[in-house]
Amino acid sequence: MVQKESEKNTQPFSLWKAFSSIKLTLFLLILLAVASIFGTLIPQQESAMRFAENLSPTLVRILESMQLFDMYHSWWFRFIIGALAVNLIVCSLDRFPSSLKRFRSTPGADREKPFEDLPEDRSFPVKTAFEPASNLVGDLLKKNYGKVERKEKGEATFYYVQKGRFTHFGVYLVHLSVLLILIGGIAGSLFGFQAFVNIPEGEESDRVFLRKEREAKPLPFAVRCEKFTVEFYPNGTPKEYRSDLVFLANGEAVFEGPLRVNHPITFQGITFYQSTYGTLPGNQVRLSLKREGDGQNSFVDAQVNKPFALPGEEGEAAVTAVRSDFMRMGPAVQLEIRPKSGEDVQLWVFKNHEMIEQRFPGIFERFPRLNPASFKPYTFFVETMDSKFYTGLQVSRDPGVPLVWAGFVSIIIGLFVTFFLSHRMIWVRLSRRKKGANIALAGMSSKNAVGLEREIGKLMTQLQKEVEKLPSSQ
Amino acid sequence: MLNSMILSYITFVYFFSFFFYLLMMVMHRENFGRAATFVTLAGFAGHTFAIVLRWVESYQLGIGRAPLSNLYESLIFFAWTIILLYLIVEWRTKNQSIGAFVTPIAFLAMAYASFSPGISSRIQPLVPALKSNWLIAHVITCFFGYAAFALAFGLSIMFLLKKLDRPQRKSRFLGIIPESWLLDDLSYQMVVIGFLFLTLGILTGSVWAHSAWGAYWQWDPKETWSLITWLVYAALLHSRLVRGWKGNKLAALSIIGFFCVLFTYLGVNYLPGLHSYAQS
Repeated sequence: MVQKESEKNTQPFSLWKAFSSIKLTLFLLILLAVASIFGTLIPQQESAMRFAENLSPTLVRILESMQLFDMYHSWWFRFIIGALAVNLIVCSLDRFPSSLKRFRSTPGADREKPFEDLPEDRSFPVKTAFEPASNLVGDLLKKNYGKVERKEKGEATFYYVQKGRFTHFGVYLVHLSVLLILIGGIAGSLFGFQAFVNIPEGEESDRVFLRKEREAKPLPFAVRCEKFTVEFYPNGTPKEYRSDLVFLANGEAVFEGPLRVNHPITFQGITFYQSTYGTLPGNQVRLSLKREGDGQNSFVDAQVNKPFALPGEEGEAAVTAVRSDFMRMGPAVQLEIRPKSGEDVQLWVFKNHEMIEQRFPGIFERFPRLNPASFKPYTFFVETMDSKFYTGLQVSRDPGVPLVWAGFVSIIIGLFVTFFLSHRMIWVRLSRRKKGANIALAGMSSKNAVGLEREIGKLMTQLQKEVEKLPSSQ
Repeated sequence: MLNSMILSYITFVYFFSFFFYLLMMVMHRENFGRAATFVTLAGFAGHTFAIVLRWVESYQLGIGRAPLSNLYESLIFFAWTIILLYLIVEWRTKNQSIGAFVTPIAFLAMAYASFSPGISSRIQPLVPALKSNWLIAHVITCFFGYAAFALAFGLSIMFLLKKLDRPQRKSRFLGIIPESWLLDDLSYQMVVIGFLFLTLGILTGSVWAHSAWGAYWQWDPKETWSLITWLVYAALLHSRLVRGWKGNKLAALSIIGFFCVLFTYLGVNYLPGLHSYAQS
């Protein structure tokens, strides 16, 4: 051991050798695991900002310089993954020739070695003539394993069969799959995008907003949200979110369909996912008008930007804007009044007028533009405002996904082959005896010795049964 | 509901099977062993019945979904997979001492599900994101993986205990634990099964996330912890297959791995993320 170490030290440092080390693999696997833990403890990306507010500026600077707030995309995290990938490639290339050799190996059919130290219960005498028994063994093996090698040697006939040679490659399939998944991930981040868009009901959008770059990206088509529906169970849990989407190319509807959670729609290579929703004020407002001197309020159903005549013929008014939350005091509408004589008046009418008056007494008197009574002789009230939904869509294109999916399928096949199948070789030797023959079975397996023993046991019982059917020789 | 009532009784049944397995080891009487196996089998039958009943009852409530979608149901299913896998191992190895180290894990999972005040056993309808066949595949594969790792954990504890055995000690308890090499081999086999299922679980979850949220991997804490677990067991398998590590080191890695499993499953729920169903 000591000598070996010193031998190693005298060798020139070789990068290949360093990366073909399984010790490095273990180190990198554990390092990646430990590094990943930090990212689950330190809030990442968006939530990192809120977290950072509570820390001292120095600490924030240190964490930031280590890119710990977006750790999984940091140079050093990528470096560990990259090193692991190189390690995996080098290890695989380093060991592949020996696996190929084992795959190609054709141990002689007449090998005696497997029969050394054979337990007694792995052989049995046969009382029939030698040739028929030998042919029977050959036929049975051919039926079970396909290809059979046969060799005569002295007083004995040897048969050799094998199966599962390809299992030597299982581990390379697993490694290749890991690389495939990594390549798919890189392809996705290089050539794909992750974006979102909010579309109010009845409106369309031909651009989406990139999450990472925080900028708009034009689409080669437009998407319209005809309608958004949310259904609830009786207990109030949401049951389904659905956007009825229409895809428009050059202004013409080309495709339409409902978009639901778990049922994305792909159009021209870009996939849309139902992600969130919300409400926006609509363009229908029911106003109540109190005219000083009149006994009763009058009501107006106003549409945004559609002027209506004031009931006392003083002029025209129109709702010009609707806000679901204006100045943090709740929903409000903007009114523009054009009297027949005098200057135009612009004012905001809050829906929760009374509540605001209570919280900020005198506010309306001080700010005429917020006062619903600043156009005499009227006082305006908002009775109802309709609202409409907007749908929040996740929009992405990821050309790496097919590679990732292929990697998923092949890693499972690879793991199964590596761990549950083995390369088994079985030899059967018939030795001539004075009366009949002696049949012995031996085997070798790349792994799962117990499974091999079971297989040989089964094969032996089968052989014994068949041989008994032969007429015994005198 | 009847199903959760039966399941809370099954908790005690598994406690008794643990008790009998332990008695068998301490008293060295075969009768206790037979009783232990019988009680475990009976518990498993009742457990299976209750899960099917829960499924049926969900249809009677007009909800109609597989009982695999909240913390309560996952704990129940986790215990079920542990017992199923354990019974197969007992049947194949003809050794009952393993039961004393595995049934308590199933008992604890059942007890946590049935008696923790924070866990509701009500059958709730599914929110839109959970309505996917990938969810069922994801949960089943993950929990078979977790169960195999739980068995590997129990076997690793046994391996370390067996190390304390000396011929002059004549400890009945330790004497009945299988030979070290057998424990080591069994534990490795369980890790292999667990690794295959954990991989399947991560992949099905990833496919599901892709169809629900538009991204197959988002470094959400649960995803990350499942990767951490995967890496730890990958290290274990490489150290054994390529470096030929056996024994203590491997048992230690398997125990660390199971703690990662537990953190992935339960600990992560206290971190924010997509999977934080335990908070509701």
